[in-house]
Amino acid sequence: MKKKPTRREVLGHAARGATLLGLGGVGAALVTKTHKVMGWQLDPAKCVNSRLGATGVEVCELCSTECVEPLSAVRAVNEFSKCGRCYICPAYFNIKSAINEEGLPSEKLCPRDAIERKPIGWIDPYDPANNFYEYTIDETKCNGCGRCVMACKEPAGLSSIRLEVRYDACLDCNRCSIAIACPDDAYDLVPVEPA
Amino acid sequence: MEYRQVLTISGKGSGPEHFASTLRGIAIGGDDQLYAVGDSTLKVFDAQGKLLRHWRTGRPGYCVSVGDGGRVWVGEAEQLEIFDAAGKLVNSWRDPELLGLVTAIDFTPENVLVADARDRSIRRFDRKGKFLHNIGKDNRMKGFMIPNGILDFAVDGQGVIHATNPGKHRIEHYTSAGKLLGHFGRFDGIDPKGFPGCCNPTNLTVTAEDHIVVTEKAGPRAKIFDAEGELLTVVATEVFDPNCKNMDLAVDSQGRIYVVDTVRLAVFVFAPASGAGGVRP
Repeated sequence: MKKKPTRREVLGHAARGATLLGLGGVGAALVTKTHKVMGWQLDPAKCVNSRLGATGVEVCELCSTECVEPLSAVRAVNEFSKCGRCYICPAYFNIKSAINEEGLPSEKLCPRDAIERKPIGWIDPYDPANNFYEYTIDETKCNGCGRCVMACKEPAGLSSIRLEVRYDACLDCNRCSIAIACPDDAYDLVPVEPA
Repeated sequence: MEYRQVLTISGKGSGPEHFASTLRGIAIGGDDQLYAVGDSTLKVFDAQGKLLRHWRTGRPGYCVSVGDGGRVWVGEAEQLEIFDAAGKLVNSWRDPELLGLVTAIDFTPENVLVADARDRSIRRFDRKGKFLHNIGKDNRMKGFMIPNGILDFAVDGQGVIHATNPGKHRIEHYTSAGKLLGHFGRFDGIDPKGFPGCCNPTNLTVTAEDHIVVTEKAGPRAKIFDAEGELLTVVATEVFDPNCKNMDLAVDSQGRIYVVDTVRLAVFVFAPASGAGGVRP
Protein backbone atom coordinates (compact mmCIF):
# COMPACT_ATOMS: atom_id res chain seq x y z
CA MET A 1 0.00 0.00 0.00
CA LYS A 2 1.36 3.35 -1.07
CA LYS A 3 2.22 5.54 1.81
CA LYS A 4 0.55 8.91 1.83
CA PRO A 5 3.20 11.67 1.66
CA THR A 6 3.56 13.72 4.71
CA ARG A 7 3.06 17.47 4.68
CA ARG A 8 6.87 17.93 5.11
CA GLU A 9 7.57 15.75 2.01
CA VAL A 10 5.05 17.64 -0.12
CA LEU A 11 6.55 20.96 0.80
CA GLY A 12 10.08 19.62 0.15
CA HIS A 13 9.19 18.43 -3.36
CA ALA A 14 7.53 21.73 -4.12
CA ALA A 15 10.58 23.68 -2.97
CA ARG A 16 12.97 21.55 -5.04
CA GLY A 17 10.76 21.93 -8.08
CA ALA A 18 10.61 25.69 -7.67
CA THR A 19 14.39 25.88 -7.30
CA LEU A 20 14.96 23.82 -10.44
CA LEU A 21 12.49 25.91 -12.38
CA GLY A 22 14.18 29.08 -11.19
CA LEU A 23 17.65 27.88 -12.09
CA GLY A 24 16.46 26.74 -15.49
CA GLY A 25 14.81 30.09 -16.11
CA VAL A 26 17.88 32.03 -15.11
CA GLY A 27 20.06 29.81 -17.32
CA ALA A 28 17.75 30.23 -20.28
CA ALA A 29 17.66 33.98 -19.75
CA LEU A 30 21.44 34.14 -19.60
CA VAL A 31 21.80 32.12 -22.78
CA THR A 32 19.25 34.30 -24.56
CA LYS A 33 20.81 37.49 -23.28
CA THR A 34 24.32 36.39 -24.22
CA HIS A 35 23.19 35.49 -27.69
CA LYS A 36 21.49 38.82 -28.22
CA VAL A 37 24.14 41.21 -26.94
CA MET A 38 27.28 39.77 -28.53
CA GLY A 39 28.33 40.86 -31.98
CA TRP A 40 31.27 40.69 -34.36
CA GLN A 41 33.43 43.78 -34.42
CA LEU A 42 36.43 44.74 -36.52
CA ASP A 43 39.39 46.31 -34.74
CA PRO A 44 40.82 49.05 -37.03
CA ALA A 45 44.12 48.94 -35.14
CA LYS A 46 44.62 45.34 -36.25
CA CYS A 47 43.19 45.46 -39.77
CA VAL A 48 46.01 45.88 -42.30
CA ASN A 49 43.91 48.34 -44.28
CA SER A 50 43.79 50.81 -41.40
CA ARG A 51 46.69 49.78 -39.14
CA LEU A 52 49.20 52.63 -38.96
CA GLY A 53 52.68 51.81 -40.16
CA ALA A 54 51.50 49.15 -42.60
CA THR A 55 52.28 51.02 -45.80
CA GLY A 56 53.38 49.75 -49.16
CA VAL A 57 51.34 46.57 -48.79
CA GLU A 58 48.46 45.26 -50.86
CA VAL A 59 44.95 46.02 -49.71
CA CYS A 60 43.15 43.10 -48.04
CA GLU A 61 39.69 42.57 -49.54
CA LEU A 62 38.63 39.49 -47.58
CA CYS A 63 35.86 41.39 -45.78
CA SER A 64 34.10 41.77 -49.11
CA THR A 65 34.60 38.21 -50.30
CA GLU A 66 34.35 35.99 -47.19
CA CYS A 67 31.01 37.06 -45.70
CA VAL A 68 28.23 34.53 -46.15
CA GLU A 69 25.88 37.30 -47.25
CA PRO A 70 25.79 38.21 -50.97
CA LEU A 71 26.63 41.80 -50.04
CA SER A 72 29.05 41.69 -47.14
CA ALA A 73 27.91 43.01 -43.78
CA VAL A 74 31.07 45.10 -43.64
CA ARG A 75 31.00 48.72 -44.78
CA ALA A 76 33.45 51.57 -45.07
CA VAL A 77 32.60 54.49 -42.80
CA ASN A 78 33.97 58.00 -43.20
CA GLU A 79 34.34 59.80 -39.89
CA PHE A 80 33.62 63.37 -40.93
CA SER A 81 35.25 64.88 -37.86
CA LYS A 82 38.60 63.47 -39.02
CA CYS A 83 38.14 63.96 -42.77
CA GLY A 84 40.23 66.70 -44.39
CA ARG A 85 37.55 67.44 -47.01
CA CYS A 86 40.34 67.49 -49.56
CA TYR A 87 40.14 68.61 -53.15
CA ILE A 88 41.98 65.47 -54.20
CA CYS A 89 40.91 62.62 -51.95
CA PRO A 90 43.10 59.53 -52.41
CA ALA A 91 40.20 57.35 -51.28
CA TYR A 92 37.89 58.77 -53.93
CA PHE A 93 40.29 59.13 -56.85
CA ASN A 94 42.78 56.65 -58.17
CA ILE A 95 45.58 59.15 -57.71
CA LYS A 96 47.93 57.14 -59.88
CA SER A 97 45.63 57.39 -62.90
CA ALA A 98 46.20 59.79 -65.76
CA ILE A 99 45.20 63.42 -65.31
CA ASN A 100 42.09 64.52 -67.19
CA GLU A 101 41.38 67.90 -68.78
CA GLU A 102 40.19 69.27 -65.43
CA GLY A 103 43.50 68.44 -63.80
CA LEU A 104 41.93 65.64 -61.79
CA PRO A 105 42.75 61.92 -61.74
CA SER A 106 40.72 60.32 -64.49
CA GLU A 107 39.72 57.22 -62.50
CA LYS A 108 37.89 56.61 -59.27
CA LEU A 109 39.31 54.20 -56.73
CA CYS A 110 36.10 52.49 -55.61
CA PRO A 111 35.22 49.60 -57.95
CA ARG A 112 31.55 49.98 -57.02
CA ASP A 113 31.41 53.77 -57.27
CA ALA A 114 30.16 53.88 -53.70
CA ILE A 115 31.69 57.22 -52.71
CA GLU A 116 29.97 60.49 -53.54
CA ARG A 117 32.01 63.70 -53.81
CA LYS A 118 30.46 67.13 -53.64
CA PRO A 119 31.72 70.61 -52.84
CA ILE A 120 30.21 72.08 -49.70
CA GLY A 121 29.39 75.59 -48.65
CA TRP A 122 29.75 78.52 -51.01
CA ILE A 123 31.35 77.16 -54.16
CA ASP A 124 34.10 78.88 -56.11
CA PRO A 125 33.22 78.17 -59.75
CA TYR A 126 36.54 79.45 -61.08
CA ASP A 127 38.94 77.53 -58.88
CA PRO A 128 37.74 74.05 -57.87
CA ALA A 129 40.76 73.69 -55.58
CA ASN A 130 39.31 76.57 -53.61
CA ASN A 131 36.53 74.46 -52.11
CA PHE A 132 36.00 71.96 -49.36
CA TYR A 133 34.58 68.61 -50.46
CA GLU A 134 32.41 66.14 -48.61
CA TYR A 135 32.83 62.45 -49.25
CA THR A 136 29.86 60.24 -48.42
CA ILE A 137 29.80 56.47 -48.67
CA ASP A 138 26.69 54.87 -50.15
CA GLU A 139 26.17 51.82 -47.97
CA THR A 140 23.84 50.24 -50.48
CA LYS A 141 26.81 49.96 -52.84
CA CYS A 142 29.78 49.49 -50.50
CA ASN A 143 30.86 45.91 -49.92
CA GLY A 144 33.70 46.63 -47.50
CA CYS A 145 36.56 45.89 -49.88
CA GLY A 146 38.76 48.30 -47.93
CA ARG A 147 40.48 50.02 -50.85
CA CYS A 148 39.37 53.45 -49.70
CA VAL A 149 40.41 52.64 -46.15
CA MET A 150 43.93 51.77 -47.23
CA ALA A 151 44.16 54.85 -49.46
CA CYS A 152 43.00 57.19 -46.69
CA LYS A 153 45.42 55.80 -44.12
CA GLU A 154 48.13 58.03 -42.65
CA PRO A 155 50.43 59.37 -43.95
CA ALA A 156 48.62 59.46 -47.32
CA GLY A 157 45.39 60.64 -45.76
CA LEU A 158 43.98 61.27 -42.32
CA SER A 159 42.72 57.75 -41.57
CA SER A 160 39.18 59.05 -41.43
CA ILE A 161 37.78 55.96 -43.18
CA ARG A 162 37.57 52.60 -41.45
CA LEU A 163 35.69 49.35 -41.89
CA GLU A 164 32.80 48.47 -39.61
CA VAL A 165 30.49 45.48 -39.27
CA ARG A 166 26.92 46.67 -39.76
CA TYR A 167 24.88 44.84 -37.16
CA ASP A 168 21.65 45.23 -39.08
CA ALA A 169 23.26 43.37 -41.98
CA CYS A 170 25.29 40.86 -39.96
CA LEU A 171 23.72 37.44 -39.47
CA ASP A 172 25.60 37.12 -36.20
CA CYS A 173 27.00 33.75 -37.18
CA ASN A 174 28.36 31.66 -34.38
CA ARG A 175 31.60 31.38 -36.32
CA CYS A 176 32.08 34.39 -38.58
CA SER A 177 33.55 33.34 -41.89
CA ILE A 178 35.40 36.66 -42.27
CA ALA A 179 36.88 36.31 -38.80
CA ILE A 180 38.12 32.84 -39.70
CA ALA A 181 39.74 34.14 -42.87
CA CYS A 182 41.12 37.38 -41.43
CA PRO A 183 44.93 37.19 -41.50
CA ASP A 184 45.23 39.95 -38.92
CA ASP A 185 42.91 38.38 -36.34
CA ALA A 186 41.08 41.69 -36.39
CA TYR A 187 37.61 40.32 -35.61
CA ASP A 188 36.34 39.92 -32.08
CA LEU A 189 33.02 38.82 -30.65
CA VAL A 190 32.22 41.59 -28.23
CA PRO A 191 29.27 42.73 -26.15
CA VAL A 192 27.35 45.33 -28.08
CA GLU A 193 25.47 46.51 -25.00
CA PRO A 194 26.67 47.08 -21.47
CA ALA A 195 26.35 43.80 -19.55
CA MET B 1 71.96 68.17 -60.85
CA GLU B 2 72.05 65.03 -58.75
CA TYR B 3 72.32 64.80 -55.02
CA ARG B 4 73.74 62.08 -52.85
CA GLN B 5 73.34 61.43 -49.16
CA VAL B 6 76.54 62.35 -47.35
CA LEU B 7 75.60 62.30 -43.69
CA THR B 8 73.01 61.18 -41.17
CA ILE B 9 72.63 63.18 -38.00
CA SER B 10 70.93 62.02 -34.79
CA GLY B 11 68.35 59.24 -34.80
CA LYS B 12 65.91 57.51 -32.52
CA GLY B 13 67.26 56.60 -29.12
CA SER B 14 67.92 57.65 -25.57
CA GLY B 15 71.39 59.15 -25.94
CA PRO B 16 71.98 62.90 -25.67
CA GLU B 17 72.33 63.20 -29.46
CA HIS B 18 69.11 61.25 -30.08
CA PHE B 19 65.42 62.00 -30.06
CA ALA B 20 63.05 59.69 -28.21
CA SER B 21 59.69 60.17 -29.91
CA THR B 22 59.55 63.22 -32.18
CA LEU B 23 61.82 65.27 -34.39
CA ARG B 24 59.81 68.03 -36.00
CA GLY B 25 61.90 71.05 -36.94
CA ILE B 26 65.37 71.98 -38.12
CA ALA B 27 67.23 75.14 -39.06
CA ILE B 28 70.74 76.11 -40.04
CA GLY B 29 72.58 78.74 -37.99
CA GLY B 30 76.03 80.29 -38.10
CA ASP B 31 78.93 78.05 -39.12
CA ASP B 32 76.35 75.77 -40.69
CA GLN B 33 75.38 74.45 -37.31
CA LEU B 34 72.22 72.39 -37.33
CA TYR B 35 69.47 73.25 -34.85
CA ALA B 36 66.99 70.43 -34.37
CA VAL B 37 63.90 70.47 -32.18
CA GLY B 38 61.84 67.52 -31.07
CA ASP B 39 60.41 65.95 -27.94
CA SER B 40 60.86 68.93 -25.58
CA THR B 41 64.50 69.42 -26.47
CA LEU B 42 66.59 71.52 -28.77
CA LYS B 43 69.90 70.08 -29.95
CA VAL B 44 72.70 71.82 -31.81
CA PHE B 45 75.06 69.85 -34.06
CA ASP B 46 78.12 70.96 -35.96
CA ALA B 47 78.37 70.56 -39.73
CA GLN B 48 79.80 67.06 -39.27
CA GLY B 49 76.89 65.99 -37.10
CA LYS B 50 78.60 66.13 -33.72
CA LEU B 51 76.35 67.22 -30.87
CA LEU B 52 77.53 70.56 -29.49
CA ARG B 53 74.89 71.42 -26.91
CA HIS B 54 71.28 70.80 -26.04
CA TRP B 55 68.64 72.24 -23.77
CA ARG B 56 65.02 71.78 -22.76
CA THR B 57 62.18 73.73 -24.27
CA GLY B 58 59.12 74.73 -22.30
CA ARG B 59 56.79 72.65 -24.44
CA PRO B 60 57.29 70.18 -27.30
CA GLY B 61 58.83 72.09 -30.20
CA TYR B 62 57.26 72.12 -33.67
CA CYS B 63 59.76 74.33 -35.48
CA VAL B 64 62.98 76.23 -34.96
CA SER B 65 64.54 79.25 -36.61
CA VAL B 66 67.77 81.12 -35.99
CA GLY B 67 67.45 84.89 -35.95
CA ASP B 68 69.62 87.92 -35.40
CA GLY B 69 72.46 87.49 -32.95
CA GLY B 70 72.16 83.74 -33.11
CA ARG B 71 68.96 83.80 -31.14
CA VAL B 72 67.01 80.58 -31.39
CA TRP B 73 63.26 80.80 -31.88
CA VAL B 74 61.26 77.70 -31.07
CA GLY B 75 57.62 77.37 -32.09
CA GLU B 76 55.33 75.47 -29.75
CA ALA B 77 51.64 75.14 -28.95
CA GLU B 78 50.27 78.54 -27.91
CA GLN B 79 53.68 80.10 -27.52
CA LEU B 80 57.13 80.58 -28.94
CA GLU B 81 60.32 80.72 -26.94
CA ILE B 82 63.43 82.74 -27.70
CA PHE B 83 66.79 81.47 -26.47
CA ASP B 84 70.24 82.95 -26.75
CA ALA B 85 72.88 80.94 -28.58
CA ALA B 86 73.89 79.19 -25.38
CA GLY B 87 70.36 78.05 -24.67
CA LYS B 88 69.32 80.58 -22.04
CA LEU B 89 65.67 81.58 -22.31
CA VAL B 90 65.58 85.31 -23.00
CA ASN B 91 61.95 85.83 -23.94
CA SER B 92 58.72 84.06 -24.76
CA TRP B 93 55.60 85.15 -26.57
CA ARG B 94 52.43 83.56 -25.29
CA ASP B 95 49.10 83.92 -27.03
CA PRO B 96 46.62 81.03 -27.30
CA GLU B 97 44.77 82.85 -30.07
CA LEU B 98 47.52 84.16 -32.33
CA LEU B 99 50.03 81.40 -31.64
CA GLY B 100 47.73 78.38 -31.63
CA LEU B 101 50.26 75.93 -33.03
CA VAL B 102 53.47 77.49 -34.29
CA THR B 103 54.91 75.35 -37.09
CA ALA B 104 57.19 77.85 -38.89
CA ILE B 105 59.01 81.07 -38.03
CA ASP B 106 60.97 83.37 -40.34
CA PHE B 107 62.05 86.97 -40.49
CA THR B 108 62.18 90.09 -42.59
CA PRO B 109 64.31 93.04 -41.47
CA GLU B 110 61.32 94.59 -39.69
CA ASN B 111 59.09 91.66 -38.92
CA VAL B 112 58.72 88.26 -37.37
CA LEU B 113 56.46 85.95 -39.35
CA VAL B 114 54.85 83.01 -37.64
CA ALA B 115 52.78 80.18 -39.11
CA ASP B 116 49.83 79.25 -36.93
CA ALA B 117 48.66 75.86 -38.14
CA ARG B 118 45.63 75.93 -35.86
CA ASP B 119 44.29 79.02 -37.63
CA ARG B 120 45.81 78.02 -41.01
CA SER B 121 47.42 81.42 -41.46
CA ILE B 122 50.68 83.32 -41.18
CA ARG B 123 50.87 86.01 -38.46
CA ARG B 124 52.93 89.11 -39.05
CA PHE B 125 54.41 90.70 -35.93
CA ASP B 126 56.82 93.55 -35.49
CA ARG B 127 60.12 92.79 -33.85
CA LYS B 128 58.74 93.57 -30.42
CA GLY B 129 55.92 91.11 -30.78
CA LYS B 130 53.09 93.47 -31.70
CA PHE B 131 50.63 91.70 -33.99
CA LEU B 132 50.11 93.50 -37.31
CA HIS B 133 47.95 91.30 -39.53
CA ASN B 134 47.34 87.85 -40.99
CA ILE B 135 48.68 86.55 -44.28
CA GLY B 136 46.93 83.93 -46.39
CA LYS B 137 43.61 84.19 -44.61
CA ASP B 138 41.80 86.52 -46.97
CA ASN B 139 40.29 83.86 -49.20
CA ARG B 140 37.34 81.57 -49.47
CA MET B 141 39.03 78.87 -47.38
CA LYS B 142 39.76 81.40 -44.61
CA GLY B 143 43.34 80.25 -44.63
CA PHE B 144 45.67 77.70 -46.08
CA MET B 145 44.36 74.22 -46.81
CA ILE B 146 46.51 72.00 -44.59
CA PRO B 147 44.93 68.60 -43.96
CA ASN B 148 48.46 67.45 -43.11
CA GLY B 149 48.29 69.51 -39.92
CA ILE B 150 51.18 71.92 -40.33
CA LEU B 151 51.83 75.11 -42.28
CA ASP B 152 55.31 75.93 -43.55
CA PHE B 153 56.80 78.97 -45.26
CA ALA B 154 60.11 80.74 -45.87
CA VAL B 155 61.19 84.24 -46.85
CA ASP B 156 63.51 84.68 -49.83
CA GLY B 157 66.24 87.26 -50.39
CA GLN B 158 63.75 89.80 -51.75
CA GLY B 159 61.43 89.49 -48.79
CA VAL B 160 58.84 87.43 -50.65
CA ILE B 161 57.05 84.87 -48.52
CA HIS B 162 56.75 81.41 -50.08
CA ALA B 163 54.18 79.22 -48.34
CA THR B 164 52.92 75.71 -48.83
CA ASN B 165 49.26 75.25 -49.59
CA PRO B 166 49.25 71.46 -49.73
CA GLY B 167 45.50 70.98 -50.06
CA LYS B 168 45.67 72.98 -53.28
CA HIS B 169 48.96 71.36 -54.36
CA ARG B 170 50.54 74.79 -54.62
CA ILE B 171 53.34 77.01 -53.45
CA GLU B 172 51.95 80.50 -52.93
CA HIS B 173 53.93 83.75 -52.91
CA TYR B 174 52.97 86.72 -50.72
CA THR B 175 54.30 90.13 -49.90
CA SER B 176 54.82 90.80 -46.23
CA ALA B 177 51.74 93.04 -46.51
CA GLY B 178 49.77 89.91 -47.31
CA LYS B 179 49.18 90.42 -51.02
CA LEU B 180 49.09 87.19 -53.00
CA LEU B 181 51.63 87.57 -55.80
CA GLY B 182 51.02 84.25 -57.46
CA HIS B 183 51.48 80.53 -57.12
CA PHE B 184 52.80 77.48 -58.87
CA GLY B 185 52.10 73.79 -58.61
CA ARG B 186 49.43 71.34 -59.62
CA PHE B 187 48.29 67.87 -58.71
CA ASP B 188 50.00 64.98 -60.41
CA GLY B 189 50.24 61.49 -59.00
CA ILE B 190 52.81 60.32 -61.52
CA ASP B 191 54.90 63.17 -62.89
CA PRO B 192 57.30 64.59 -60.25
CA LYS B 193 56.75 68.05 -61.76
CA GLY B 194 53.43 68.04 -59.92
CA PHE B 195 52.53 67.32 -56.32
CA PRO B 196 50.91 63.95 -55.52
CA GLY B 197 48.43 62.69 -52.96
CA CYS B 198 45.82 64.61 -51.04
CA CYS B 199 48.09 67.34 -49.81
CA ASN B 200 51.57 68.16 -50.91
CA PRO B 201 54.09 69.71 -50.58
CA THR B 202 54.10 69.77 -46.81
CA ASN B 203 57.31 71.69 -46.15
CA LEU B 204 59.62 74.08 -47.92
CA THR B 205 62.73 76.16 -47.63
CA VAL B 206 64.41 78.67 -49.93
CA THR B 207 68.03 78.52 -51.09
CA ALA B 208 70.41 81.43 -51.50
CA GLU B 209 69.53 81.36 -55.21
CA ASP B 210 65.84 81.66 -54.38
CA HIS B 211 65.19 78.11 -55.44
CA ILE B 212 62.44 76.43 -53.51
CA VAL B 213 63.14 73.05 -51.94
CA VAL B 214 60.11 71.06 -50.86
CA THR B 215 59.29 67.79 -49.20
CA GLU B 216 56.30 65.58 -49.83
CA LYS B 217 54.65 62.72 -48.00
CA ALA B 218 53.23 59.41 -49.23
CA GLY B 219 55.71 58.69 -50.75
CA PRO B 220 58.25 60.86 -49.11
CA ARG B 221 60.66 62.79 -51.28
CA ALA B 222 62.50 66.08 -51.59
CA LYS B 223 62.50 68.19 -54.77
CA ILE B 224 63.90 71.50 -55.96
CA PHE B 225 62.03 74.05 -58.07
CA ASP B 226 63.26 77.30 -59.52
CA ALA B 227 61.49 80.54 -58.69
CA GLU B 228 59.14 80.11 -61.66
CA GLY B 229 58.07 76.67 -60.56
CA GLU B 230 60.11 74.56 -62.95
CA LEU B 231 61.28 71.31 -61.42
CA LEU B 232 65.07 71.27 -61.27
CA THR B 233 65.67 67.93 -59.62
CA VAL B 234 64.42 65.28 -57.25
CA VAL B 235 66.89 65.26 -54.39
CA ALA B 236 65.94 61.99 -52.75
CA THR B 237 63.03 59.65 -52.35
CA GLU B 238 63.68 56.04 -51.41
CA VAL B 239 65.95 56.77 -48.45
CA PHE B 240 63.10 57.94 -46.26
CA ASP B 241 60.80 55.74 -44.21
CA PRO B 242 57.55 55.48 -46.20
CA ASN B 243 55.54 56.55 -43.16
CA CYS B 244 57.29 59.93 -42.98
CA LYS B 245 55.09 63.01 -42.94
CA ASN B 246 55.73 66.74 -42.56
CA MET B 247 59.47 66.40 -43.10
CA ASP B 248 61.10 69.71 -42.28
CA LEU B 249 64.15 70.75 -44.27
CA ALA B 250 66.93 73.33 -44.41
CA VAL B 251 69.81 74.39 -46.65
CA ASP B 252 73.29 75.35 -45.49
CA SER B 253 75.84 77.75 -46.99
CA GLN B 254 77.36 74.96 -49.07
CA GLY B 255 74.08 74.13 -50.74
CA ARG B 256 73.69 70.94 -48.74
CA ILE B 257 70.09 70.00 -48.11
CA TYR B 258 69.01 68.69 -44.71
CA VAL B 259 65.79 66.67 -44.49
CA VAL B 260 64.14 65.20 -41.40
CA ASP B 261 63.09 61.56 -41.44
CA THR B 262 60.21 61.89 -38.99
CA VAL B 263 60.02 58.15 -38.33
CA ARG B 264 63.69 57.41 -37.80
CA LEU B 265 64.07 60.78 -36.02
CA ALA B 266 67.19 61.50 -38.05
CA VAL B 267 68.37 64.28 -40.32
CA PHE B 268 69.64 63.16 -43.72
CA VAL B 269 72.11 65.47 -45.41
CA PHE B 270 72.35 65.58 -49.20
CA ALA B 271 75.07 67.27 -51.21
CA PRO B 272 75.26 68.00 -54.92
CA ALA B 273 76.91 65.00 -56.52
CA SER B 274 79.23 67.23 -58.52
CA GLY B 275 80.53 68.98 -55.41
CA ALA B 276 79.58 71.94 -53.33
CA GLY B 277 77.69 74.83 -54.81
CA GLY B 278 74.32 75.77 -56.15
CA VAL B 279 71.61 73.69 -57.60
CA ARG B 280 71.34 74.93 -61.17
CA PRO B 281 71.34 72.05 -63.61
